Amino acid sequence: GQEFQFGPCRVEGVALQELWEAFRAMKDIVQAKDNITSVRLLRKEVLQNVSDTESCYLLRALLKFYLNTVFKNYLDKAADSRIRKSFSTLANNFFVIASKLQPSQEKEMFSISESARRRFLLFQRAFKQLDIQAAQTKAFGEVDILLTWMERFYQ
Amino acid sequence: DGVAVLPAPQNLSVQSTNMKHLLMWSPVIVPGEIIYYFVEYQGEYESLYMSHIWIPSSWCSPTECPECDITDDITATVPYKLRVRATLGSQTSAWSTLPHPFNRNSTTLTPPVMEVTKDGFHLVIKLEDLGPQFEFLVAYWRREPGAKEHVQVVRSRGIPVHLETMEPGAAYCVKVRTFVKVIGRHSPSSQAECVKVQGETLPL
Repeated sequence: GQEFQFGPCRVEGVALQELWEAFRAMKDIVQAKDNITSVRLLRKEVLQNVSDTESCYLLRALLKFYLNTVFKNYLDKAADSRIRKSFSTLANNFFVIASKLQPSQEKEMFSISESARRRFLLFQRAFKQLDIQAAQTKAFGEVDILLTWMERFYQ
Repeated sequence: DGVAVLPAPQNLSVQSTNMKHLLMWSPVIVPGEIIYYFVEYQGEYESLYMSHIWIPSSWCSPTECPECDITDDITATVPYKLRVRATLGSQTSAWSTLPHPFNRNSTTLTPPVMEVTKDGFHLVIKLEDLGPQFEFLVAYWRREPGAKEHVQVVRSRGIPVHLETMEPGAAYCVKVRTFVKVIGRHSPSSQAECVKVQGETLPL
């Protein structure tokens, strides 16, 4: 069956198609609330030229950030039940993926994990430069950028 | 919220077969009155990170029947909490919650229904449409000692699929099982069905 292969990290049990359908169902509503069009959090320096091995470290950091910071308070503001349903699909599947990403912690992987950490910090710094609600809305609206990047590792 | 006067629905359970999930409960009876039920769910993420958030079911908020097809609501392979309450006008019952969270990886997978036919010398199979999450592992072989078993993965649903060009006079047998990607499980195999060129489908 289809699965993700982020370098050594293999993730089964998630249908990428379901994630796309969930995001598309709320994309217009979510992205319409993002008024800061001059800023992009998941910019090229974060996601471009990421090696397979590095991808597991980077995605784990990004997904944990989404789960703990971006998604966490989002539902309180999203009264629309269509958004809540799509949000739940995304959040729970991101939760599954993040729990299955177990990158190696061995010393020889330090340079790779450090490179992933620097990329993640670029994203996190950009996030922190915005007002928290504006940053959450923008990051949520950029889930399609993240899914597009993840698609590269879907087999 | 209305005052909780109505009795809460009891005996909640989920019956799940081939990734179709049905939440059921005992009806609340008030003679001469129509009771409406509201169903809500919470995935593992919501229960861990925002436990005050419950999401109305797609099809059963409200419903009159004491059951709810929650298939469209269960969209990740994680435990889901489910709850139901009854309403009658402004009267509202307390919530009843499913005793154990439901995970779609516990669904019962049954051997798929198949139709094995011949189209001239062509061995053809038609499989039931179980939805996009299913793949079919079709095994077929020529019925003779030492025959090799071939396996073909079929993803198309509900349309005839050509398996093999048969030798005149030979008998061929087919059996199938399903594979569900998002839970990584197979169903049991179906019974084998055999056909013979210029003959009838032979029972085993």
